[in-house]
Amino acid sequence: MEISRRQALGALAKGGIPLLASSTVGVTTCAASQLAIPLPSADAVAMLYDTTICTGCKACVSACAEANGLVPDTRLTGLHQSPLDLNAFTKNIIKLYDPVSGPQSFVKQQCMHCVDPACVAACPFEALFKRTKDGIVAWEPTKCIGCRYCEVACPYHVPKFEWAAQNPAIVKCEFCQHRLAVGEEPACTAVCPTDAVIFGPRSVLLAGAKARVEAAPGKYFENRVYGEHEAGGTQVLYLSHVPFEAIGLPTLAPDERPGRYLRWQSLIYKFFAFPVILYAIAARVMRQNFVEHQREVREEHEHSGMDPQL
Amino acid sequence: VIVRWQRGVPVYGVPVVTGPFIATAAVAGLGVMLIIYRQIVGLGPTTGMTDAYPWGIWKTFNTMVLTALGSGSFAIGIAAWIFRKRTLHSIMRVALLISFLVYTAGLLALGVDVGRPWNFWNMLLPWRWNTHSPLWEVALCMPVYAFFPLLLENTPPMLERIYYLYPQSKAAIRRLVPTIRATYPWVVALAYVLPILHQSSLGALMLLAGSRVHPLWQSPLLPWLYVWAAAYIGVATVIVTLLLCFLAWKRPLDFEVLRSLAALTSGLTLGWVGIRLLDIIVRGQIVTAFAFDWYSLVFWTEMALIGGAGVALRRKPVVESGHSLFLISLATVIGGMIYRYAPPALAFSSKPLSFYSPTVVEILISLGFIALCHLGFLVAVKRLPILPAPVSEWDNLVDYYRYLYPWVQISRSDHATSEHRPGYAD
Repeated sequence: MEISRRQALGALAKGGIPLLASSTVGVTTCAASQLAIPLPSADAVAMLYDTTICTGCKACVSACAEANGLVPDTRLTGLHQSPLDLNAFTKNIIKLYDPVSGPQSFVKQQCMHCVDPACVAACPFEALFKRTKDGIVAWEPTKCIGCRYCEVACPYHVPKFEWAAQNPAIVKCEFCQHRLAVGEEPACTAVCPTDAVIFGPRSVLLAGAKARVEAAPGKYFENRVYGEHEAGGTQVLYLSHVPFEAIGLPTLAPDERPGRYLRWQSLIYKFFAFPVILYAIAARVMRQNFVEHQREVREEHEHSGMDPQL
Repeated sequence: VIVRWQRGVPVYGVPVVTGPFIATAAVAGLGVMLIIYRQIVGLGPTTGMTDAYPWGIWKTFNTMVLTALGSGSFAIGIAAWIFRKRTLHSIMRVALLISFLVYTAGLLALGVDVGRPWNFWNMLLPWRWNTHSPLWEVALCMPVYAFFPLLLENTPPMLERIYYLYPQSKAAIRRLVPTIRATYPWVVALAYVLPILHQSSLGALMLLAGSRVHPLWQSPLLPWLYVWAAAYIGVATVIVTLLLCFLAWKRPLDFEVLRSLAALTSGLTLGWVGIRLLDIIVRGQIVTAFAFDWYSLVFWTEMALIGGAGVALRRKPVVESGHSLFLISLATVIGGMIYRYAPPALAFSSKPLSFYSPTVVEILISLGFIALCHLGFLVAVKRLPILPAPVSEWDNLVDYYRYLYPWVQISRSDHATSEHRPGYAD
């Protein structure tokens, strides 16, 4: 006997609607808190980099390599410390923006230590995590499976993978957390001779950056600080006299990533609410249909005399 | 002659080890050796992946694309068990076998791809799970699906072989039957929930890539389009497989079942194409589809294959000829694979702009996984009652086995000799 599609849908609805109704209330209550973009912690540390001050001396590049025990990258030209981009030997780099016409600019690149990091949202086992007190995005080797999802997710293309290694690590700026632990500031800010990059609490540096913009209207691009709101805000702030896009700082809405796209994932899997509801409905319908199926199989057996198969 | 598929019957009278089998085994063996080589020397020397293209064909093709081919048991199972399409029960065994093999290979590919696989033990510590991460969801959900519901659903054919060929096991298997029967609906219900979760998560993986994925593919609906695509790719794969088996071993075809599979594929593809076009129009990206660049070429190829197949499968002459049904189903599979491959590869642009081309080692390992699936399928259908056939085929098989194993008594039914019937479903 065939059960009509209508009856099957009816059974689905009977099992599903009470469950759906009760769980919707629960999910929406926690949705509000889950969907909000997180705020930077009160003790968030930060860097402020100003393109108008930087002379491109690259002292920060060498200091970074030394402080983090990185081998000097001479692979490209044989010159000391002259890679083209961040890589497995380079956590911090100074690049030159040299347009055909218009002003030149140096730019310092390292991890932005996002307030709402996409890499942390992507990492399956929290190997990349945001330290709750100072907001540093750090890497924990015992949790990393080397899936490289952080590289796919990061809007700034920061995390790098040790492709050549047998026990490959994820290499990225970790804000010299070992130096902060002993009361020193990060190697790059400590060594900078012109204070183009400075270290301090995020709230203080953000206010300072805004003061610089106010003091000289028109000097900085769009008269604003990059990193205040981009992708939920970053803990490395930029002031630039050239367009942000030109020096590799992408245009990102406050809720760009992971915010807008990925919050629902956490809602679904936080309490396993959605899978459990689906399973309850499926199991209910399955058990009913299985009894029916067994009866049909028995009839068939009596008809053909053949042992039934599942 | 109208053929009715009534039960699974092994392919008999054909040796397992043939020329093509040995060739496939050689490809698989080479793949396994290269996997060992990759584990020794690391990812850098063996693959073409870079920091700009961190995911190569193992993850993007073997896991993200090929597991869709194994979703037939999910879609057909829902039609058969939840919506009670009775005739589709006869092909569940084929669909389940394909699913198990393809998922196992996809998981192995994921294991070979990751750089620090020894840290997978973190999966055992739930407090280290990042429930935000689609990759965590995939890494948890896919093994659970492959090694719990799929493995269990694939045991009846194995038990059946043991039951008939090793009479001393009959009592033990009979004792097992009530347990299987009691747990079966609970396990099978799980088999319809888990694929929704991990197939949608495979799509969600690319949400985090943001603007690196071309706007024709980057959409909040990506997870749902991915799982939906998996459903019709899986069904079309089962059609293609059944028709290939017909070609290879002259298995009789039940066109009523094939027609309902074609109708299922057609409905799924046309609905999917509609939602996909609507999504592109609502997001205001339809203009980019007419840019006549690489991306619009990929987009229209995919749309033409999937939409065209969806329309063609509604036409009577198509579904009544095995030849055209095979070609159209194959077009559906290829179109669906292009869609699934686009976000992580075909429509993925790196920064700084660079190109990824898989190395020979990568391709050979990828082929090795496909060869392993193929070998598993060949052995299984020749040794286990998997492929559907009319009851008369079973009788022929029994005659053949009487000749092959004279000491084994296989009757049409044990009913006459025993109080209990040996079936698993009765």
